[in-house]
Amino acid sequence: MFVLPPPPRYPAPGYPGGPGGGPLIETNNTLTHPTGIEHQLVVGEGTYVLRDDLHLATPPPHPSEAPVHNPNPLATTISPPSAGTKLSLVVLAPRQSSYSRLYKLDTTNSTRSQIPPSIQESPHETNSQASDAGSHGANGANGTNGVAAQPPLEGLHAPAFGQGNPLLSVVNGKDSKDPLKRRKPKSNIVKSNSSFVSRVIPHEALSKRLQEHNPNGLYAFANEEHMTKILFTKAHALCHDINQITKGPGHIDIVMGFSTGDIIWYEPMSQKYARINKNGVINASPVSGIRWLPNSENLFLASHMDGSLVVYDKEKEDAPFVAEDNAPAAEGEKDQRLVSLMVKKSVNSTNQKSNPVAFWKVSNSKINAFAFSPDCRHIAVVSEDGSFRIIDFLKENLLHLYMSYYGGMICVCWSPDGRYIVTGGQDDLVSIWSLEESMLVARCQGHNSWVTAVAFDPWRCDERNYRIGSVGEDCRLLLWDFSVGMLHRPRAASVRQRGSITSAANLKMQRSRTESSVTRLRSNSNLTTASVDDEEVVHPVEPRARTAILPPVMAKTVDEHPLCWLDFEEDCIMTSCNNGPVEAISLSMRGELRRRNTRLVLHKLDPPSRRVDPMLIR
Amino acid sequence: MTSFFGRFKAGTSPASPASSNLPTKKDPNAPQPTPLEKLLQDAGPIRADGSDKFFGFENFGSTCYCNSIVQCLYYSVPFREQVINFPSRSPPEALERPAQSDLPRLNTDLSPLPNGQNTAKGRNSISSPTTASPRKPVTTPGGTVNAQGQKPEDNKDSPEYKKKMAMAAGPVLTMDYENSKAYGMSESLFTSLKDIFEAVIAHRSRMGVVSPNKFLEILRRENEMFRTPMHQDAHEFLNLLLNEVVENVEQFSKNRITENGHTETDSQALTVTSGAVVPDRSATITHNNIGWVHELFEGTLTSETRCLTCENTSQRDEAFLDLSVDLEQHSSVTSCLRKFSEEEMLCERNKFHCDNCGGLQEAEKRMKIKRLPKILALHLKRFKYTEDLQRLQKLFHRVNYPYYLRLFNTTDDAEDPDRLYELYAVVVHIGGGPYHGHYVSIIKTQDRGWLLFDDEMVEPVDKAYVRNFFGGENVLACAYVLFYQETTEEAMLKEQEAENAAAATQAAERTAEPVPISPTKSNGTPNGHVHPLAYATTPIIEKDDQFASLNHAATAPPVPPTEHNALENTATSIPVLSPRKSNLEAKKDKAEKARAEKEKKAAEKELEKQNRQKLKEAEQRRRENWKKQQDEMKAALEASKLSAKEEAAKRRNEGPTDVHDEKVAEKDKENGFAGKGGLSRFRHTSMSLRHKPKFWPSTKEKSEADAAEHESPATTGAEADHGNGTPDKGEREKSKNRFSLGRKKSTFHL
Repeated sequence: MFVLPPPPRYPAPGYPGGPGGGPLIETNNTLTHPTGIEHQLVVGEGTYVLRDDLHLATPPPHPSEAPVHNPNPLATTISPPSAGTKLSLVVLAPRQSSYSRLYKLDTTNSTRSQIPPSIQESPHETNSQASDAGSHGANGANGTNGVAAQPPLEGLHAPAFGQGNPLLSVVNGKDSKDPLKRRKPKSNIVKSNSSFVSRVIPHEALSKRLQEHNPNGLYAFANEEHMTKILFTKAHALCHDINQITKGPGHIDIVMGFSTGDIIWYEPMSQKYARINKNGVINASPVSGIRWLPNSENLFLASHMDGSLVVYDKEKEDAPFVAEDNAPAAEGEKDQRLVSLMVKKSVNSTNQKSNPVAFWKVSNSKINAFAFSPDCRHIAVVSEDGSFRIIDFLKENLLHLYMSYYGGMICVCWSPDGRYIVTGGQDDLVSIWSLEESMLVARCQGHNSWVTAVAFDPWRCDERNYRIGSVGEDCRLLLWDFSVGMLHRPRAASVRQRGSITSAANLKMQRSRTESSVTRLRSNSNLTTASVDDEEVVHPVEPRARTAILPPVMAKTVDEHPLCWLDFEEDCIMTSCNNGPVEAISLSMRGELRRRNTRLVLHKLDPPSRRVDPMLIR
Repeated sequence: MTSFFGRFKAGTSPASPASSNLPTKKDPNAPQPTPLEKLLQDAGPIRADGSDKFFGFENFGSTCYCNSIVQCLYYSVPFREQVINFPSRSPPEALERPAQSDLPRLNTDLSPLPNGQNTAKGRNSISSPTTASPRKPVTTPGGTVNAQGQKPEDNKDSPEYKKKMAMAAGPVLTMDYENSKAYGMSESLFTSLKDIFEAVIAHRSRMGVVSPNKFLEILRRENEMFRTPMHQDAHEFLNLLLNEVVENVEQFSKNRITENGHTETDSQALTVTSGAVVPDRSATITHNNIGWVHELFEGTLTSETRCLTCENTSQRDEAFLDLSVDLEQHSSVTSCLRKFSEEEMLCERNKFHCDNCGGLQEAEKRMKIKRLPKILALHLKRFKYTEDLQRLQKLFHRVNYPYYLRLFNTTDDAEDPDRLYELYAVVVHIGGGPYHGHYVSIIKTQDRGWLLFDDEMVEPVDKAYVRNFFGGENVLACAYVLFYQETTEEAMLKEQEAENAAAATQAAERTAEPVPISPTKSNGTPNGHVHPLAYATTPIIEKDDQFASLNHAATAPPVPPTEHNALENTATSIPVLSPRKSNLEAKKDKAEKARAEKEKKAAEKELEKQNRQKLKEAEQRRRENWKKQQDEMKAALEASKLSAKEEAAKRRNEGPTDVHDEKVAEKDKENGFAGKGGLSRFRHTSMSLRHKPKFWPSTKEKSEADAAEHESPATTGAEADHGNGTPDKGEREKSKNRFSLGRKKSTFHL
């Protein structure tokens, strides 16, 4: 169905032994345009056709780090952590926010506007200014704020992270005024002789191509060529993020998290880089996720696999980290794993001379993903142990803790208006949670394997209807239309309940249900070992019989390999899979950052339902 | 014959209590304690429930199907308890009786026989006397001694080497006797299994190897299909074993009733009687409750059939002991189970006989789970019959399985439909096809985390290791049978907490001492809901231990970067166990501290150098390996082609009838005819012994195979007996010195 991967540069025999052992190949990127009915998706808004099937090349392993395959299928060696391919799309030119059009789809004109959406427009709108999990929220408002670059966080309803701490804001302010003085020294990655960087392959005509490149262009899949490839020794990158505030035609801030715990800040235009958490001085466990704090120039949040969330400043030096005991809320909660959000270093700490800026211990199991809410107040964190937490990161406290139906949770994202959170996990379910009602709204059943990525399609969401997309290890893309009023109660809801997960818990839960049916689940079950304040923090697992089930509106196998990422653009859906063993980072033409051997499948909406933008179709 | 055979192995290690903790290593080649030994160093007193025993099972030539399943059953706590307590537990005196008595118990207590082979010096060649034993000419250790005897150092990480060492280290429990009389039962698979369990539990050592001679003897005596030395299906065996146990137990109770009929029915017998006549499954487990296998493994399926003509829905319940689910590429266990219960059209040749409208009608049918079993044994149907090839083929589909599971395919009125299951054992099949290969099991033990049981070898593994067997293209090792056991959320949370605590301790240690290679080990956790006793002795890592591990770590080779599934890696570091020293060793440790520190520094410097060197070498090695592997792959392919041809030829006569039979059976099943025979009610799921074995070598085939083997020049008179362990002959022709399946399987992965 899909074209075969291009022939390898040197023949490498398939490997029957190693898990997933594919041949190592170096190829040029290949772009195909398969056509046919099997490459079409039909949904309400129109038909998506497969526009581009891009097979991104994998650089060969560095001679010094040839992968050693253990032919014994039972070898007990632990393989290093790895993550699926994730891409970040960057549009360098300031663009109108995708979300600002959210609630007035028909009135939007197609010309690009630099005018930031005014704050007074509607409450929902202000909520939706910043980017969500998808990293393309090139928000006009944020962009101008970023350029103005005073304490970069004014003009939003949510206070800036660490605003209460004068130390922090002073440092930040100074930084932006006097960039040369306080900034961490940076070195050129090409000339670097660091043992961490193995080699850098910049494109010859890099700057020229960049200048020629239309800053508005998003998809130019022809002539796909990487801009820079960086290969690392010792470690491999697991995640990255691009700062949406500071980006511009001449500047992109990228942070990358590595399997050794190291973090690298990298600016591809000037080829400068800096290493943070060097050799894991602050936290030595691998970085599973990384994101710039919304509206911050220098601060970013990294989740480590030991279950900690750490805020770093790219301009600060590392210092060996010792948990601060005077941090509030650290006491008395240490052994209550579930309820605790251990603040090991608060953002309000008096010591802000060095990294980390803040250090929170969420749990001890691996954090699989996290996402900032659009209103920049909350983080949703999902872990391998099946827990899902909503944390108010400004106040540094845990608001809610939910559990998956079973198995670990893998991905999470917020609805553009910040009212709903969607998670996916090893129970093959996409779960929709309501922040306001603090409850599970629906379980979406349709995937045949673990759900690896979820995303809202902001162009097809309004106040009551939401379009959600999800991809999974079953190689399928599923689309869900979630409408608040349209949920079906499960047919079994009427059937008498006989014993449940644990009868005691269930009984209590039932009682709590009747007490406060919809609004807020009050104290429940033995799960609650303790609760903070009066608030409900730990929520029990909802039995199946009581949860609405949502079927998909569309399901389609879009790849032959398990998928690991998806994103929506106004007129297309992109998915990616990874099927190569080699780790490398490459920044390609449109500032698209990727790792590993990737196939990117782009489904374009055809005919475009609302708007034809000549810039986008080329 | 068996006792003669057993005596040779007996007494390889007169295990003293001291040596059970730190077995004396006389082999200069292996001064390092094995990972399992390290894990068990601070284990404390031996428990009576057998939860702290980690015995390998000897492979008598492709008996790994048996070993892997028996291990899975042993580590099911309720199953083990029932086995040792039914009909009653043997008193400890009985177990310590000297071996010379009528009922030889633990022959490891024997003093070493006046046989040079059994002295410490000759340990490595323990299997050499097996040439004298016609039953076992081709054991794995025997083969490996020949192949690797010259340079065992070369391949210390190879499973063959480790198995050999396990056998050598002993103690070896040779189960060539049976105690059925002591149990008041007649000799059966159950009594033999009980013998094994009791012997293991009673033994003073925590580690060792069991030689299940008697068990296999009984198995082969009573079941023709297992009499061949061929590779067998582990699921098939599980099936048979569970049914046999049910039968044996029922038989026993019947006997008891008749006996008691002569004397006088006492109260105990009454319980038995009621149990036998009306299997009361909701009753609490009493020691003489004969329905305990059902209580543990049995669930109920409801098949609803709706006739499309008269809209009449008929329901039928049937019991299952395990579920066999069809697989799809890139799916999960969850989805396989859901597919299992999806609606199915009965039409065309498969029409449904409707009682209401009379005659065959089109109908809709679906099967849902009405009563959830306590232990859910999930059989992934990896061996699929392909009509055009006329034989079974292995499906390498990638099927994810989570650590925890709930069932979506329950009926609306099912009791506790949200029951939480946890994965506790995985039986892995390694190999390219159903007719050859190897089975191992990976099992979560009560408080020692996950362990890999590969015949004689037992090794602790990381929790993430369990996820290496989802399958996929080019992955020979994939999960075949999954055992999920009932658990509760509380237990799950508790376990995660414990897991986390362990991880946190290690993290703290790690940050305290910035070492290039940090020993993190969290291969799982106490198993939540069983035996609170288990928690009491959960070990805490001692600080002193660091140094030993540093030594080890610094010189350890760099971890080969293996590719890994994207989502599942929770573990972050290198598989060096944090070793635990017994208190006795603590002092010594301190003395070594300074030295260790020095060494560490030196080693760190060295390491950088070495790494470079090693990387170069690795590159070289990799190329060589590829070449080698290619060659071997080719050889293996040709071999399997050859055997395929032969098998196809053989099947040409029987094949069509088989297919026909199968179809008829299928139809029978669909139409809901009551089956014939005792097993018939299980047929829907896995109790289909009646049909399935036909794809496995029958006696006729076997004798053909035997005949063919005699033509082969590689075979010698050693295998005159039909119980011989011989690999399939294609393989044999290709490689002359591969004498056993154990050896053979390694050829794929060298």
